[in-house]
Amino acid sequence: MPTRDQFHHAVERLLELDPGSLKGDELLESFDWDSMAVVMFIAMADKNYDIAVSPSNVRDAKSLADLFAILSK
Amino acid sequence: MARTRFNNATIAGLACTFPENEVSTESLAMSLGVNAGRLVSITGIENRRVAPPYICASDLCADAAERLLASLGWKKDSIEALIFVSQTPDYILPATACTLQHRLGLSKECASFDVNQGCSGYIYGLWLASSLVETGLQRVLLLVGDTSNRISSEEDKSVAFLFGDSGSATALERRPATSHFVLGTDGGGAENLIIKAGQCRQRPNCVNCLRTEVESGKRSPTELFMDGSEVMAFTLREVPPLFEQLLGYAGLQRSQLDAIVMHQANKFLIENLARKIEMPMEYIPLSLQEFGNTSCASIPVTISACLREAVSAKSLTLALLGFGVGWSWSACTLSLDSISAPEIAFLK
Repeated sequence: MPTRDQFHHAVERLLELDPGSLKGDELLESFDWDSMAVVMFIAMADKNYDIAVSPSNVRDAKSLADLFAILSK
Repeated sequence: MARTRFNNATIAGLACTFPENEVSTESLAMSLGVNAGRLVSITGIENRRVAPPYICASDLCADAAERLLASLGWKKDSIEALIFVSQTPDYILPATACTLQHRLGLSKECASFDVNQGCSGYIYGLWLASSLVETGLQRVLLLVGDTSNRISSEEDKSVAFLFGDSGSATALERRPATSHFVLGTDGGGAENLIIKAGQCRQRPNCVNCLRTEVESGKRSPTELFMDGSEVMAFTLREVPPLFEQLLGYAGLQRSQLDAIVMHQANKFLIENLARKIEMPMEYIPLSLQEFGNTSCASIPVTISACLREAVSAKSLTLALLGFGVGWSWSACTLSLDSISAPEIAFLK
């Protein structure tokens, strides 16, 4: 399971955001968060943390904190 | 798990035909207001061949078959079985294989039947054809193709950029050769890649043929629905163990494979699979840049597009991996040894 900082760095890379720009309370709708981003998040969870996340949980996530919670389960 | 070893069935030749009409990701992305650069970097698909309304998968397969039989010098009455694998047949009935038997001028003593499979379909077809050869037939013709764009909404961003249309022909004959197959199914995933209406469960009517607004654009129930996130999760879950089972069953090491030809789902998914099965991308040829995801034909298309010269000149040991709609998966190891492989052709 990643730390919150590791998770933020991973999502920043995924969404091509500036390093250190994520704080943790952002809503996903404020990013370019679409079906492709969902697919990439599933692959990132598998690659970085060896976690098989539920696609429906990722699709239902509204915020960065929701995504972190998915990886923390 | 269905596992089978064959000792007396081999591929003698393979050919592919595409529609001439080419559609670039960039041009379609512009019309749908999508970032083409991001799309291409993820899917790897720059161009696709899209069949006009008058060309069916059977037409593409028939062209490939004619050229392949001529290249092999096989008499048409020597074909004892014809298998047509497709999810875009000409009709609900009769089986398209029956019309292809007549059209190709094959013998009336030729057994002909259709198989409804998509992404895993080529290996399913090889498995069936090899079974027929192993149990007594001398020559079998396997025709595998789809015109997936015919059943996808060009206004649905989840599928509009993915599929290429194509047809293939593979000739199998009775000759000493070893191949190993592993196949499996999880129909619990059927809802994730499906056309819900248009057949017998829900007949087409004036309502379900109309496109309505969906999250990814516009689509009707008679057109393809795909949940890409479920496809990714399924593939990462099922295909790596499938590959391990195949290697174990065939008694092969990774270093003994010359190439792994995967179903060409999209580049991002294939790169992740390569990571999971611990094979460098140099061993995994890609045809999707120019031809897109060609559904059940993507494996023969990739062999034709990327390995044609090699398989024509020498022996290659290959692992083939198919996975997707169903959920259905299939894998095999085999050798292609100086086979007849006519150049790719395009149909107007």
